[in-house]
Amino acid sequence: MAGNLHSVPHKIWQTLSAIKTGVILLIVVVIVSAAGTVILQRPVTDPDEMQRAYSPQVLHILDGFGLTDIFHAWWFVTLLVLVSLSIVAASIQRFPNSWRYYSRPYKSPDETFRKALATQAQIPIGDEDSGLVAAEHVFQRAGLRPERMVRESSLSLFGERNRISEMAVYIVHASLLLIFLGGIVDALYGWRGFVAIPGGEQTAQLQLHDGTVRTLPFAVRCDAAGQDNYADGTPKKWWSKLAVLEDGREVMRKEIVVNDPLVYKGVRFYQSSFGNTGKVDKIMFTVTQANGQGAVKEIALGADEPLPLDADTTVRIADFIPDYVVRDGQVYTRSAQVENPAVHLVVESKKSGRAVNVWLPPIPSFEQNSSSPYRFEATDLQMVHFTGLQVSHEPGQWAVWAGVIVMGLGLCVVFYLVHMRFWAVPVRDPRGRLVLWVGGTANKNKDVFEQRFRKLVQQIESEVKVQSESCAPAHATSMAGD
Amino acid sequence: MARARVEQQPAATGATLVVMVGLGVAFLLFMAFLNVVKSGNLLNESNLLYAALIFYTGAGTLYLGFGVTGTPSYVRFASLATWAGLLANTGAIAHRWYEAGHPPFASIYEMLLSFVWTLAVLTLIAEKKYGVKVIGTVTMPVAIVGVVLMQLLRTEVHPLVPALQSTWLHVHVTLAMLAYAACALSFALAMMFLIQDKMKTETFLAATSLFGVATYAGVLTRFEKWGGLSVAAWNPQEKSEIFLAKGMRLFVVIPDLGWLMLLVLAAVAAPFVLYLVWRKTDNEDFINIANRAVFVSILLQVLALVFFLARARDGRYGSLDAEGLFSTSLAASPFILSGLVGGIFVSLLYLLLLWRRTDLERMLPSAEELDRITYKTIAIAFPLLTLMIAAGAYWANRTWGSYWSWDPKETWAAITWLVYAGYLHMRITRGWRGRRAAYFAILGFAVVMFTFFGVTYLLPGLHAYA
Repeated sequence: MAGNLHSVPHKIWQTLSAIKTGVILLIVVVIVSAAGTVILQRPVTDPDEMQRAYSPQVLHILDGFGLTDIFHAWWFVTLLVLVSLSIVAASIQRFPNSWRYYSRPYKSPDETFRKALATQAQIPIGDEDSGLVAAEHVFQRAGLRPERMVRESSLSLFGERNRISEMAVYIVHASLLLIFLGGIVDALYGWRGFVAIPGGEQTAQLQLHDGTVRTLPFAVRCDAAGQDNYADGTPKKWWSKLAVLEDGREVMRKEIVVNDPLVYKGVRFYQSSFGNTGKVDKIMFTVTQANGQGAVKEIALGADEPLPLDADTTVRIADFIPDYVVRDGQVYTRSAQVENPAVHLVVESKKSGRAVNVWLPPIPSFEQNSSSPYRFEATDLQMVHFTGLQVSHEPGQWAVWAGVIVMGLGLCVVFYLVHMRFWAVPVRDPRGRLVLWVGGTANKNKDVFEQRFRKLVQQIESEVKVQSESCAPAHATSMAGD
Repeated sequence: MARARVEQQPAATGATLVVMVGLGVAFLLFMAFLNVVKSGNLLNESNLLYAALIFYTGAGTLYLGFGVTGTPSYVRFASLATWAGLLANTGAIAHRWYEAGHPPFASIYEMLLSFVWTLAVLTLIAEKKYGVKVIGTVTMPVAIVGVVLMQLLRTEVHPLVPALQSTWLHVHVTLAMLAYAACALSFALAMMFLIQDKMKTETFLAATSLFGVATYAGVLTRFEKWGGLSVAAWNPQEKSEIFLAKGMRLFVVIPDLGWLMLLVLAAVAAPFVLYLVWRKTDNEDFINIANRAVFVSILLQVLALVFFLARARDGRYGSLDAEGLFSTSLAASPFILSGLVGGIFVSLLYLLLLWRRTDLERMLPSAEELDRITYKTIAIAFPLLTLMIAAGAYWANRTWGSYWSWDPKETWAAITWLVYAGYLHMRITRGWRGRRAAYFAILGFAVVMFTFFGVTYLLPGLHAYA
């Protein structure tokens, strides 16, 4: 940071990038989030329950501070933005150092470094070259990709593994920011809503959770919806057959179930509920003539279609009450559930124009069942079902999933990949003997690294021995030549 | 030198406890066998679970016995018992899986089943691979509590409701169980560290006692005339508290429970008073009495919890504010319940620290080693936690159309993640090692437990069926 060290922006930067700030911010986020799980929250809890649970004064205060919708309050969002900024600042401040470390690895250790290094050993060698060759072989076998370093008059060897481990922290932090980014995009441009479509109908409008109505550029039709049950009657599966219509043309068709949504142009339709509309689709009847003559007929009567029973007589459904109750001389329905159904049929004669009201079951003072030329017995009932669809548009979710994958990989690198570096330098020990100085360091898991290092040194020692044995005759001759 | 040490040690091989536990296990199994053999259905899930409970209890007793006496043979038999318990536990899981037709991850009962299994496996791994022989002293009691809780929860196989029929659910819950078991292990290791680290137990004693006093003082704000304890009334149909007016809950009075709470308050306060006397007089006797007082207070606290559970679980009680009898439920008193459980938990932790002995210390890896293994388990738990949250989010997205909706379980999973993230940052950038890191690991596990049980039972949300 250039400029005056005591300038205000510099101070802000320093504060923001400090680990302490990050940790304090995280603690605040933790406390506030915990509060949000204890205090009843607005969109989830309905207003009546809120009013029952808190007295008006308390509710007023809670609402005033946004405590009844913490996770969408402006100050909570600000808090998350501050956390992001803190991560960015901390990363930017530490990144150059790490990058230098990463991009320009320290390959030729000088004397000070060699003295200070914690893990090191010295192996007596015959001459510089054979020592380095031995170390080179061992490094190669350990997958360390050895590099010969040449410096003015000295030779040395450098080998390393998993250098990426040094940068993993930044990968993890970047992935966290990616997830936040996805969340922010969804908060700004995403929406969620609900639509209930009765079987056979279509719609392009839906009610968003914030109460507004949104019109889609295409329509969705529900061809059928249903529920499969387990033997004990609990629901096993809800399904809907959906079709997407664009400019009147059908462009997509899919049967969705609870865990398998329909996706069209980034809008997702989830099976969320299922129910009946209280309207009847078809009722099956067995029909017999009142005078006992003629054959028994099976008919299926639709909601709005009169059906001829003979040349003169027709029957139609005038009314269907899914859950009837008679009170004060009126027939009411209590609910849309088929609990206690009643059907009102009208049997008409074309010739006489006489209409008879048939009620099943016969409700006294309404029914004229005995005057009907036909007797009806209901055998089956089909209701019009609606499918409840959760609709959402989350353009940022791909950033979230990408972030999650990167974070998973990043964490694996952070915790399980160890950056190991090894150096081998031929030097004279204090007594003047030629030795191969071998040193190593790891950025984590140091205890395991120690063992690994000792094994490596042993391997170099035995390699040196093998080489000196195979070279021994050659040495002997050359010495003899002298 | 070695000889001197042998002479110092009592010649006891610890056969008494092994024989007693062995006889106890055999007796209980035999009794259970006699009961079951009549019905003819020997190898079903509840029997296997019962066998697992007996073996785990045997193992726990032996591990504790080892903690107190330091007799090495106890550990051998304890891990044998753990193996036997694990076998029965595996059988119970297999049986349930077969019965239900789906892996046992659908309800909190099934998840406990898997959690206890994973914990037993990890205990054996820690013992065999890392040589943390007494880890069972901490993990077995947790497993026992898990199995006992399972007996209290309903066990019928429920068909999966549509939202739960997803591979992602299984991925999510498997990861959760692995992560939570790893957290439990890191907690146990952190406790071992504190034992090995020779920390001063007196401060811990005072803190434990003060925590208990605060808890029971809080509970006693509900003390009513003539020794009753008032708790919120509960409407079982609507699953909500009963309100007299806006923001005014109806309270019912459970008779006599107030006196019991008062007694427990006195019992948990006693160690603190003795601690103060010790500080003044510097007489070690007072600390010894205080330690015994902790024992007594734990017994009384367990008694209070049992009475509270028995009386507040159901039953109808009168109220001071309204005519008639009203029912209550544990769900109506979340804070009292968590306070009571928390108090016992903290006291037990203290008790564990008291078992520090030189021979126990010899059986444990060095403090540095324990610190490192604790870190390693968290290094395993943290990526698992991350993936668990991600799998849960992905599943929620496929089911409800939203990957994050801030429901309590989600929020607490995120809080758990943040706590462990905090641990990692403090350790890596600030070099937090040893005691502070151990406290952090213990805190992390407490949050995990709250996320697992507390949220399900105390806070409402989408995860209500899990």
